[in-house]
Order: sequence, then C-alpha cells, then structure tokens
Amino acid sequence: MVMNFWEAQKQAKSKTALYVAIFTALTLIAAFFCEWAMRLFAVGSYDNPDLPYVGLGFLGLTFGVAGFNYMNYLQSGGSYVAESVGAQAVNPQTRNPKERQLLNIVEEIALATSLPIPPVYILEAKEVNAFAAGTSPDNAAVTVTRGCLDLLNRDELQGVLAHEFGHIYNRDMTLGMRVAAMVMGFFIVTFIGLRLLEGSSFASRRDEDDQDRRGGNPIAVLAVIFLIAGSVTWFFGSILQAMVSREREYLADASSVQYTRNPLGIANALRKIAGSNTSDMPKNGKPFAHLYFNEHESFWSRLFATHPPIEDRIAAIEGGKYDAAPPLSKT
Amino acid sequence: MTTSLIIILVVIAVIVLWGIGIYNRLVQLRNQVNNAWSQIDVQLQRRYDLIPNLVETVKGYMAYEKETLEAVISARNQAQSARHQIEQSGGPTEGSIKDLAAADTAVRGAVTNIMALAENYPQLRASENMKQLQEELSSTENKVAFARQAYNDNVMLYNTAQQEFPTVLFASTFGHHKVELFQVEDQEVKKAPKISFS
Repeated sequence: MVMNFWEAQKQAKSKTALYVAIFTALTLIAAFFCEWAMRLFAVGSYDNPDLPYVGLGFLGLTFGVAGFNYMNYLQSGGSYVAESVGAQAVNPQTRNPKERQLLNIVEEIALATSLPIPPVYILEAKEVNAFAAGTSPDNAAVTVTRGCLDLLNRDELQGVLAHEFGHIYNRDMTLGMRVAAMVMGFFIVTFIGLRLLEGSSFASRRDEDDQDRRGGNPIAVLAVIFLIAGSVTWFFGSILQAMVSREREYLADASSVQYTRNPLGIANALRKIAGSNTSDMPKNGKPFAHLYFNEHESFWSRLFATHPPIEDRIAAIEGGKYDAAPPLSKT
Repeated sequence: MTTSLIIILVVIAVIVLWGIGIYNRLVQLRNQVNNAWSQIDVQLQRRYDLIPNLVETVKGYMAYEKETLEAVISARNQAQSARHQIEQSGGPTEGSIKDLAAADTAVRGAVTNIMALAENYPQLRASENMKQLQEELSSTENKVAFARQAYNDNVMLYNTAQQEFPTVLFASTFGHHKVELFQVEDQEVKKAPKISFS
C-alpha cells in the first residue's frame, strides 16, 4: 500500500485545529468557572461586580504570562537553540565526506520544499536523533546527532532531514511554543493560587474576630478557585499539548514522504531507532521538535508522550500494518 | 442614497475584491512556477558542469574507453544547447521541454555507462577523487530530481487553480495559461542511477 501523504497531512492539520479549539474552550470554561465560583462562595464580598473581574483576571493572567513567555521564545532563532544544547555548526566548505554528504542532502531537501537552506549543526551524541529549531524558515536551523551520520544510510538520513524540514515548513516550532506558553500561563495561575492561599491563611490566623466566616476571606476563596482552575487547566492543557505534538509528528512524517517520495527511507530510519537502546541526548532544552522519543509502556507516559509510538508511525508511513522487518529495498 | 443602490455598490465592491484576490493568487502561483523552473535550470547547469570533471578523473585510467567518454561529452553538449534554447526563448514550452528531457535522459544514460565501466578499474574506484565525484554526481541527480519534483508540484497547483471554478472564468483574461509538466519519457530512467562502489 502507498501512503497518501496529501490526505495524511489534511487529517493531521484538522486534528490539530480540533485540539486547539478544545484548548481554547478549556480556557474559557475555566474562566467562567472562576467567575461563577467566586460569586457563589465569596458571598458578601463579591456580589454583582460591574465586570466579571475574576474571570477576566484568570484570562488576563493566563494570556499575559503566555504572551511574555512567547516573546522570550521568539528572541531565539534556530541557531541560538542549536548552540545552546552544544551542537556545532558544520563548515559549509567541509572536506569531510560524511559532512559533505549531510550538506548535500540538506540542499536536496531544500530544493524539494522550495525553502531556504538552513544552517546545519551536528550534536555529538551516539543516539539517532535530529531536531529543527527556529520560528520561521528564515531563521531555522537543523541539527542531527553523530549517531545519525554513523548509523543511517543516505536514504534514511534524507528521510530524517525531510521530516525536520516538514516541521519547519509547517511552523511546528511556533505552534509548540504558543501551546507551551499557554500551559505555562495555567501553571502560573496555580502558583498564584498557592501563594495567595499561604498568604491568606497566615493573615486569618492573626485575625481573631473574623465575622463572616461563611462568606470567608475573599482572598482565600479566590486562592482556592485559582488553585483548582489552574491545576485542572494545567493538567488537561498538558495532555492537549502532547496530543498536538503527536499530531504534528505524524504531519512531519507525511511531509517527509511528500518531499522524498520515498517512504522507505524514513520508515527504515525509525526502525533503526526502535531497535536501539542508546539514549544520550542532553537534558536541557525541551521546546525542540525531536524526531523521536522513547516508546512508552504505561498509560500515563503515553498520555504525555510528545511522539506517537514508533510502530504506529511506521504503519502510517507504509500505509498498512506495522512490520518489524523492512520490505525488500533497493539499497 | 437608496438602500438598493447601497446594496448594489456593496455587491460590486465584493466582486471586485474577489477578482483582485483571484488575480493576485494566480500571479503568485505563476511566479512560484517560474522560480521552480529556474531551480531546475540551476541544477541542470551544475550537472552539466560536473561532466568535464568526470571525464578528466577517469580519462587517465580508462584511456581505451574513448567512445564512451566521447559519448558523454556529446550528450552533455546537446543537453546544454537544449537548455540554452529554453533560456533564450524566455521559458519552457511543450516542445522545448520535451527536447530538454530527452537530451537530459541521454546524458544520464551516458554517465551510467561510464560509472558501470569504472567498476572494472579497481584503482579508479579506490581513488578519493572518484569517491567524492560519485557523491557529487549522486547528489546532483537527486537535486535535479527534486527540482523537477518541486516544479511539477507547483505546476499542478497553478494549473488546478486556473481550472477551478470560479477562477476558470477569469484565468485566461488575466493572461494565464496551462503549463507543461516536466515529464521524463522513459519510466525506468526516472530513478536516479543507483551506483555505489561498496
């Protein structure tokens, strides 16, 4: 069977739209909840305000923190990110045959995608991995590990690089940053709730004659509301974040096949990754689009995994059931 | 200003805006096609420039294979002139693309012959120059193929946009025509020659 990559791309994009819609709905529902709960529980201190201050406060906090974070992310172009994990730029005039081949392959894929040729970096790690960084094709950079150069053949390396170009073309890094920034916003709301709670309980201990205990210290009520709303949105937001990430990985796989017209290249690269145990990527730097991640066995790990399981990816690329052994190939 | 007059003006404005959108989109798509074509041109030029390198590298070892070497030079020259013709006429037409495709196929066939013959010369195979040349040739093949692929993808988008409704009503008025795909005649030769010295 042949992969219909146009169709696969359409599906991945519409699923992403769905998840983003759910994300937005989640945020709005949480804001409503905050407003409603505040009116219900802070009786006496928060009756019929002119504006839904608490709800707006929740939204303002979330988007404010998200915006601030996002601005920070935007500062770093792809090269900055690559260098910050310790990757080294490849000299465009290199005479090393393997590096020369790497540069050639990057140029080939840039032609296939009609994108500018990004700077290429090598990370000295033995595992097979790669990532693309940058917020637009103009400031993007591509990094591969030494493991890629040592273990993959030309077709497989080409498939991996085409996958990364897919991330660049589809602006996946930008999408990932936006979602991550919103999740950070939710986290901050939770954090503020916690701090407020600590602050208010400290205060109420000193206040002996607190008359309307039932209406409660409005700050404490607000704190609990933010704590609940924040942690719930943070939890579900993180799950949605992972779902979006996985969908974009399928999209990048389909894009890779579109550019190379060679599903076998990337499928075999994934097989090699599946069969290996090496894992020595540097820990710093989460907002990258990695080609792969370890497979996850437990339910919770699956929920938060940024990549789909490798067998599912191979099956999607080859358009059928997963087969551990590669079909007879010409290389 | 009566209501019906306002409505008519609004409708006209919408149609005009829509028309502008269609016009601009067609222009964009056509420019992408032209750009993709010049990419093919650049890569073909690189490939034809590599041929003399290839001949120089193997000449010392394959002195007796004169015919094969001459064949590749003449195929290359023919392809170059086909390319120049398109350049001078300002763009590919149905006829000139076919000529170029045929000439290019001949070049590729001639190069394959040389590489196949080179298998018989172990000293040549082992030389660093030859290995580098092999990678460059292989990469150039890929680049031509990808440039052609990108061109064909862009041509498909352009042609489809012209044929869809309602753009089809305006396309030829705005000066757009169907563009030819860069097709290779022989299905077998479509694949880049997979030669390796391993």
